[in-house]
Amino acid sequence: MENRWIAYLIPPFIVTLLLVAGSQFVFIQNSFYQDLGLGRTGTDLTLVNYLNFFTDSFYLKTFWITIKVSALASLFTLFLGFPIAYVIARMKSRLAMLLLAGIVVSTFVTIVIKVFGLIIIFSADGVLNTTLMNLGLIDRAYSIIGTQEGIVVGLMHFTIGFSVLLLYSVVVTVPPSLEYAAQIHGASRWRVYQRVIIPLCTPGFVVGGLMIFNMCMGAFTSAALLGGGRVLTLPVLVQRTVMMEVKYSTAASIAFVLLVSVILINLISLIAIRRLRSARLVIA
Amino acid sequence: MQTWVEKVILFVWCGFSYVFLLSPMVVVMGASLHGGEFSAAIKFPPEDPSFQWYSKIPMQQFEALGLSLIVAAVATFLAALIAVPAALGLVRSNFKGKFIVTTIFRAPLQIPAIVSGIAFLQFYYLIYDNSSLMLAGTIPGMLIGHVFIATPFLFGTIVAVLQRFDHRLEEAAHSLGAGKWRTLYRVTIPTIMPGIYSGGLYAFMVSFADVPMSIFLTAPGFVTYPVELFYALENDFDPSILASSSLVIIFCLIMLLGVQKMVGLETLLRSGGGSAR
Repeated sequence: MENRWIAYLIPPFIVTLLLVAGSQFVFIQNSFYQDLGLGRTGTDLTLVNYLNFFTDSFYLKTFWITIKVSALASLFTLFLGFPIAYVIARMKSRLAMLLLAGIVVSTFVTIVIKVFGLIIIFSADGVLNTTLMNLGLIDRAYSIIGTQEGIVVGLMHFTIGFSVLLLYSVVVTVPPSLEYAAQIHGASRWRVYQRVIIPLCTPGFVVGGLMIFNMCMGAFTSAALLGGGRVLTLPVLVQRTVMMEVKYSTAASIAFVLLVSVILINLISLIAIRRLRSARLVIA
Repeated sequence: MQTWVEKVILFVWCGFSYVFLLSPMVVVMGASLHGGEFSAAIKFPPEDPSFQWYSKIPMQQFEALGLSLIVAAVATFLAALIAVPAALGLVRSNFKGKFIVTTIFRAPLQIPAIVSGIAFLQFYYLIYDNSSLMLAGTIPGMLIGHVFIATPFLFGTIVAVLQRFDHRLEEAAHSLGAGKWRTLYRVTIPTIMPGIYSGGLYAFMVSFADVPMSIFLTAPGFVTYPVELFYALENDFDPSILASSSLVIIFCLIMLLGVQKMVGLETLLRSGGGSAR
């Protein structure tokens, strides 16, 4: 009986392994050849691309900016996503499904369209700038394109739908009866949040936050459009190195640095899940 | 019991989050109705609403949309062909190294799409050097990349459904005289169908929305819609692109409604977004 099911597994596994290993191996190998520009590479294996990366302040700064905007975006995304997830999870009416449908649709629409909307909202004579100037809060039009704040907003739009769905699955594991129990014993609502809801959801915040951080680190589209070529992150740098400078090996080495950082974060979150599970704070 | 202060705070906080989340899409759809002249035509709220830009969508954008739809549909189908037997085989069997096999099936989700993009581009160049078969900029090349990123979504949802599968259903079919294949086609596959639908929807949407992977695999005259839109935003655009974007948003809504009718939103949520990534 057992063998029959393993036979099902083998063909798809070979296909997937070929795709994963084949593609990843080629570019990783490429990254170890010296880049001679215009798509040509040297013939000897060398670490020169990586030495360039870790000694050039431009690359290091880009790396740092990527980490910074990703961290900020994941924090703000959790902050905006949690109340939605909590309210929907505790709601008893059919309205909850409608609210969730809004979230799901927003995760389906391509990020390019959302960035398009952001560009219109933040344009010099757009809704936001006009309103703020009429209220006298700012004295000249503020543009988010080409700033780190702009990229943070774009990354938030990229991840918030997913983060609500993730946090929703965290909140539904905390039964409302725990909240009632705390209140019957005299806890105020504030106290219930402080001592019951937040502590029970914290493992979900940690793991979810790391997943969102990972998505942000690898996010290309929003960072490219809102960075406007003035602020670069690693994924944008990979694309520009290929398309504008035609330096495949250099791009491959940047991509590999990105890949390794993402895998490291994954390992951390995997260890975090294991730790939290063994501490009996089972989430997701 | 929630106090009214708490209700107000949660209401305002949620309201703000929803405005943040949905405003770009509302603005795009609103601005597409602008009736003014060509220049300065991107305005929200729209003045003098009309549908004029909808009739001015250039053929190029429809071609891009068509290509995106075809690629997403075929990639989802091929991904299902990989994911269904993979999930069945993995959940039902027991062997050492199962964790590693699962990791490999889920790997494309962990690899940033831009990394996969450059990886496939260089992979295709290597194949070209050795066999003069050029995959970059062709439909098969594009499809392989999209199957790669779409499969884990289907795999994840089907595994989730199979883990809750009630084995007594199969035993019942078996004791009533159904053979191995008959049990598979009449009992097992229909039971995991909701997982296939919802995973398929996610896979389709991820493929349909993808930029970072497709941008490396396109060629002049062979561009998917999100990439077309990406280049338009980087360079110059006219409001017809707002009109086609609005059509895409409406299409996403219809897809969600369709799947909701077929399997229900609960299945979609339980098996989709959260667990798949």
